[in-house]
Amino acid sequence: MLRNLFLVISTLGLACALATVLSRNLVRAGLWLVAFFFCVACLFVLLEAEFLAALQVLVYIGAVSILLMFGIMLTRGVQGTDPTSNPSARLAPGLVAGGVLFLLLSYGISRERGLRTQRSWATTGERPAIEPGTEGPSTPRRDAINNMGKALGVELMSRYVIAFELAGLLLTAALVGAIAVAHREEAFEPSSKGAPASSPAAESASVA
Amino acid sequence: MAAIGILIKIFIVANVLMGAVAYLIWVERKIAAYAQDRIGPNRAGSEFGIPFGLLQPLADGAKMLLKEGVLPAYVNKPLYLIAPVIAIIAALLGFAVVPFGPVGPNQVMDFQIAPYVDIGILWVFAVGSLAVYAVILAGWSSNNKYSFIGGLRSSAQLISYEIPLGLSILGMVLITGSLDLNAIIRWQNEHHVWGVFVSPLGFIIFLVSAFAETNRLPFDLPESEQELVGGFHTEYSGMKFGMFFLGEYVHVITVSALTVILFGGGWDLWGLLPYLNYKDVGWIAAIAKLSVFSVKVAAVILFMMWIRWTLPRFRYDQLMDLAWKSLIPLALLNLFATAVVLQIVRG
Repeated sequence: MLRNLFLVISTLGLACALATVLSRNLVRAGLWLVAFFFCVACLFVLLEAEFLAALQVLVYIGAVSILLMFGIMLTRGVQGTDPTSNPSARLAPGLVAGGVLFLLLSYGISRERGLRTQRSWATTGERPAIEPGTEGPSTPRRDAINNMGKALGVELMSRYVIAFELAGLLLTAALVGAIAVAHREEAFEPSSKGAPASSPAAESASVA
Repeated sequence: MAAIGILIKIFIVANVLMGAVAYLIWVERKIAAYAQDRIGPNRAGSEFGIPFGLLQPLADGAKMLLKEGVLPAYVNKPLYLIAPVIAIIAALLGFAVVPFGPVGPNQVMDFQIAPYVDIGILWVFAVGSLAVYAVILAGWSSNNKYSFIGGLRSSAQLISYEIPLGLSILGMVLITGSLDLNAIIRWQNEHHVWGVFVSPLGFIIFLVSAFAETNRLPFDLPESEQELVGGFHTEYSGMKFGMFFLGEYVHVITVSALTVILFGGGWDLWGLLPYLNYKDVGWIAAIAKLSVFSVKVAAVILFMMWIRWTLPRFRYDQLMDLAWKSLIPLALLNLFATAVVLQIVRG
């Protein structure tokens, strides 16, 4: 049952990803990307990572993609129907980049060994059952299920703190850089340009 | 068997919500009338001896359903048709994790469509962020400049105010230590202190942002009839417009329920009445909690309608300044201060 569900969702996700790449209309491509993000969120739910799924919807669908649409609609003509680049010219480099990424990922995932204390998830066919209830001795797994936000926060602030801080630094640098790129010296009257406050943010999304 | 029970619950809740929405529109029209020294709807139903125009919602609903659904020739059809559907689905999905009564393993039943979701509040925000797509797609696919400007304005407003909205609740989340709405009610019930007293700044920011998120006056720039005809739904008619309308009012109910849960103590009444403790089980306690909760939600909704007919609309740059230059710094300050105080108090 779960495996079939996974197959259905991942097929849909792949179809959406293909449509994103192949769509000629930029707004439609953006919408297909939203659908793809939604399929990824569904996969997170299948993996019992509801927190991650909610964040995926909130951040990627609710913020990043909206800013993407904004960027397209405000810069490329309202209907987004004039793609300026010739897609066939970028076919070969795109295929090479995609192929290399695919090989890298499949190599890394297939050679995953897992932690010392637990079996590698690459070799785990069935997921362990959800541990219900609050009675009895608490296990780390059950605590994580009952309060996923807390478990994630503790992990981010202890084991992964360096990666977490580095990511924050990177995002800040990208934001400052985007503002520096988008900033103009001459007097700029924002209220006459429409959607003033969001335009630096939209720029940062397209830069990042 | 459990699945059938859940389906019945969804059926009841969805229908109660829709009925509530229909009568909210009636209430809104009545309040508007009193605010402007008119009488408001008072005819529908008088043939059957029903006073105050109480059958007006039925007439409104029938009008929506029977109107001709005009499909303009120049619109982007698939997106034009899917936008109102997204609006109403996003609004209804958000209500799935809102507990409107007692929830727990020993209770008579779980008064929540999806109980035991430990990320409840995050779900509401995630689904709420989908509602932006309804607006931006409606504006874009209508192929009309008024719709398009309305859609762009609205999505800029919605994504701007999502940030202070999300930040404002973090104070309460820190205090109660959970993202689960039931745990937040339970904390307030255990301590008999409502969120509005432990996180007053968070409450104000939440309320202001909630007004903006639901497109209510003084933040209804997406529609602003005088300048944009009707904003993103200019090209919509009949039930397609009705879906936007229903979605908006369901959103109002959800936001009011969240206000009550996060900052109004849920069904807590400071222990003044019996049966209102989280340990109480049984039908009497369930009905008592359900009633207290409904009354509180109704009070918040009435407050929102009262504000609508009291304050004029913001100018667009004022709206953006309020979000980015006032609310977000204040919300960050609130979060920081809460964390410091909690660290001092709890060691």
